[in-house]
Amino acid sequence: MKNKLTLVHLYPDNMNLYGDLGNIVTLMMRCQWRNLDLEIQKVKIGDQFDLKNADIIFLGGGQDLGQKTIAKDLLRRKGEIKEEVEQGLVALTVCGGFQLFGKYFQTSKNEQIPGISVFDCYTVADQKRLIGNVVVDIEKSANEWHTEINFPRYKESVKTLVGFENHSGKTILGKSCKPLGYVKIGYGNQGDGGYEGGVYKNAFGTYLHGSLLPKNPWFADYLITLAYYRRYKKDFSLLKLDDSIEIAAHRAAISRAQTAKTLSI
Amino acid sequence: MRILIANLVARTARTASRLTKKGGGTTLPGLLAEKIAPNIITSMSTKLQHGIILITGTNGKTTTAKMLAAILEASGLKVIYNSSGSNLSRGIASFLSKNSNLLGTKIKGDIAIFEIDEATMPEITKKVSPKLIVVTNLFRDQLDRYGEIDKTAAIIGSALKASPESTLLLNGDDPLVSNLQRYNQKVRFFGINDQIETKSTGAIDSKNCLQCGTELTYENRYFGHLGIYKCSNCGFKRPKLDYQLSDLRLSVEGSKARFVDSKNNETQLEIQLSGLYNLYNALAASSIASELGIDISIIQKSLKSVSAAFGRMETIKVDNKNISLLLVKNPTGFTQVIETLRYDNKPKHLFLLLNDKFADGTDVSWIWDAELELIKDFASDVVVSGIRAEDMILRLKYAGFSLKDISIEKDMDKALGMALANIREGETLYVLPTYTAMLELRKILYSRGLVKGLVE
Repeated sequence: MKNKLTLVHLYPDNMNLYGDLGNIVTLMMRCQWRNLDLEIQKVKIGDQFDLKNADIIFLGGGQDLGQKTIAKDLLRRKGEIKEEVEQGLVALTVCGGFQLFGKYFQTSKNEQIPGISVFDCYTVADQKRLIGNVVVDIEKSANEWHTEINFPRYKESVKTLVGFENHSGKTILGKSCKPLGYVKIGYGNQGDGGYEGGVYKNAFGTYLHGSLLPKNPWFADYLITLAYYRRYKKDFSLLKLDDSIEIAAHRAAISRAQTAKTLSI
Repeated sequence: MRILIANLVARTARTASRLTKKGGGTTLPGLLAEKIAPNIITSMSTKLQHGIILITGTNGKTTTAKMLAAILEASGLKVIYNSSGSNLSRGIASFLSKNSNLLGTKIKGDIAIFEIDEATMPEITKKVSPKLIVVTNLFRDQLDRYGEIDKTAAIIGSALKASPESTLLLNGDDPLVSNLQRYNQKVRFFGINDQIETKSTGAIDSKNCLQCGTELTYENRYFGHLGIYKCSNCGFKRPKLDYQLSDLRLSVEGSKARFVDSKNNETQLEIQLSGLYNLYNALAASSIASELGIDISIIQKSLKSVSAAFGRMETIKVDNKNISLLLVKNPTGFTQVIETLRYDNKPKHLFLLLNDKFADGTDVSWIWDAELELIKDFASDVVVSGIRAEDMILRLKYAGFSLKDISIEKDMDKALGMALANIREGETLYVLPTYTAMLELRKILYSRGLVKGLVE
């Protein structure tokens, strides 16, 4: 029988800005190419779902309105999600999703949208939007993550993540939340070119769109590996795929980040 | 005096720009003119006898403007409109300067049609007082420039508040647009009543009620978030239509539908342009014309003769082969173009050009929201080019398109040669470029003597 993983996609209707679907498609195809099933469960506001069956949970980016709309429902599931993350549930949260997995998001109108505190961090909106291509170094930061399996470092290209950021929120990490990476090109969490994203156990938060996973296939594979290991309790050496197209796109994104003028509004 | 100087400078800049072939000369002259005479737009716009029509929204501005111009001209009005697609403030200034006498006391037209970028609307309504404002639709588009789509709606709202005398003509099928009715007293709605439904399951930009947040239910969804919607909680719903289309017949060659105006006059509309989105454009143009009191028979007759706007399914002959240009700017537009190419299920050759300059949107994430999965139903081969060609080929790979049928060539000139070599005489190459990629391709076609000018 085919082995199967289950991905819970939280609020795809409300939180789906900037090509978040690309992340889901990438996880799905990279599982499929290895004869592994990835079932996608979409969760809407008010839906019942059991996280016990989930292997990966995904929450994408949203506009302020989308964030406000889902915040209450998300809060209702706080205990369950936190408990599963403690037990090693793999989570990927992008932009607005990352913010709501933190303690709170303070909007530009000084409203505080409460988050679910999976990540020890909080976000405050600023006047200036941080927009542009990003290149993040994850070689050093990966040593600080408390994930279940060490991030494999077997390729030259694995050291970086590329993407595109577009956020007005500045996210400040607390002690128990480690940075996903250090910014080589771009603004990062606080707009100062310092660190990017947040990691707690097997849960990841980031501002990188682009979409993130297609151009960083090693990171997609890492999430699959973590989820597989947790479910089947054995090391899962993923079948090697031909990633030449992905690597070419990754490299092109790096060179574009080096040359393109970043724009701000 | 300032206007005279501004006009002189603008004219010189335009000539210089055209002579050096640096561009179409559509923005620099206006930029300079507004610097010299900041009130140039206000001052010159008052010289128009029948006033100004503003067209804004994410998709369809250019085609709607072109169709409207054809109708108004057929009715005997002298029309000026900014057809070159430069729809920022400086483009408007350039355009007015070009169409006036040097002193700025006279303007060469009875009525002006301006297509305006959503974000530019507040600046424009501060400068002019339009007779009619049309909002075509609101989709996610170039988010890196404007922030977010809810904010775009709010920006347009603030512009509408500043022009209380204008009649507002809104796409009733778009909940984001119809919700703008609260900003104005004189509102008319246009929309479609038909059974046609989208195949796309992709990202929808506005799924929740803007009044209360409850998920909207659709009796019928045409594409994106356009359709017949209602909120089960607060009663917000698709408004009663003043102008409508029904009995839609769509093909790759063109489209037909029945148009009914606010006085229940009806006619059969026929356009050369394919795609449901073009019927929306025809509907918007017909509604504006009706609102201006133009006879329905003139509308019907003149729409028939309208050809594609700049890069909107415009066809160019190369030897005995055809190039069909279909501009793609955002996920919904991209998916719509793909759905249109799929009407007749015939295999097609594609040439996809993805750039990430300012006018294209610097974030290429949007291609992951477009339903490229549908391409494998009809594309026999694809050539990709443009600054972000690598992202496009990656998107196609994850859409399940066979890599052996895709070629990548970063040099657009060479890529065009490759794409044309793939097709036989009499066949058509369907080119789907982003905005600056289209301009780049036009330069190539121009240098080969295949198109007359760089701008329309």
